[in-house]
Amino acid sequence: MNAGKIYFEDVDLGDEVGPVERIVTDEQVIEFTQVWGREEGPTRFTSPEKARSEGLPEAIVPGAMNIAIMSQLITAWSPTVRLRKLDVVFRSPVLHNRPLTLRGMITDKGVVDGDPQIECDVTMENEEGTPNVIGKAVVSLPVRE
Amino acid sequence: MTAEDTEIKFNRSLLGVDHEIGSYAVTREMIVKFAHSTGETNPLYLDDDAGRSSEYGSIIAPPTFCNMFVSGVTRPDIELEFGDVSLFAGQAIECVGAVRPGDTLFARTKLKDVYAKTGRSGKMVFQVWETSFANQDGDDVARVQESFVRRSRRPR
Repeated sequence: MNAGKIYFEDVDLGDEVGPVERIVTDEQVIEFTQVWGREEGPTRFTSPEKARSEGLPEAIVPGAMNIAIMSQLITAWSPTVRLRKLDVVFRSPVLHNRPLTLRGMITDKGVVDGDPQIECDVTMENEEGTPNVIGKAVVSLPVRE
Repeated sequence: MTAEDTEIKFNRSLLGVDHEIGSYAVTREMIVKFAHSTGETNPLYLDDDAGRSSEYGSIIAPPTFCNMFVSGVTRPDIELEFGDVSLFAGQAIECVGAVRPGDTLFARTKLKDVYAKTGRSGKMVFQVWETSFANQDGDDVARVQESFVRRSRRPR
């Protein structure tokens, strides 16, 4: 995590957020499905055979897990920022054990109902640079005293 | 609403009507496992000491935590008379308040919108559901909006 404090005045349109690198392991998906309550037998998320029987190339990462990982572009950025909204579209399945890169770019900045906010375009890409998940994040930042 | 939207046949009495879908007891173990399994590194979600010294007084759940409850939701059939292929189109989560260990979350869902779009492959009908989570004090903590698209196998 970036330990530095970031304030509203520090950022501008076109600034990049991240990148953050992640790999989702088989073990992480199993742990997630346990807390998620979806551990009844093999699923497309935990079994390559089951995934292939559904026309998928391999076991995939659950969507709820992908959106949690995507949010880390913001939660890993600075302790001073707050994720307000994350709006995503799932473009292609995310596979286990592959490098993923999260990137963001600030596309808007302003004060909304008294809250200093930025908007970021966000993406999760696989190692070929293909976007798996794309979206937009709304983030609050404090102003300097 | 466009003329195309008014032609969509579905059970319009469901629009905007809240359906209670259950309650969820949140434990410290759930929060830490959720954070750990998703590779979260922010100590606010993992470390009790960091949580105690934060403005929240304890660890809190990562911002998309409530989203994991949404996929198990059973929704009413809107009796849509269009298409034969359904796809998940997208999701948005709005983080309104903190979720703490010991909270009980109460969830409600409602049909927010049904609308049509026509693209290169023909007409598509989108249905948008919004699921809201409030804690035991009645404070809203999260809203999750999900969009599903229905289309025909052959363009109309």
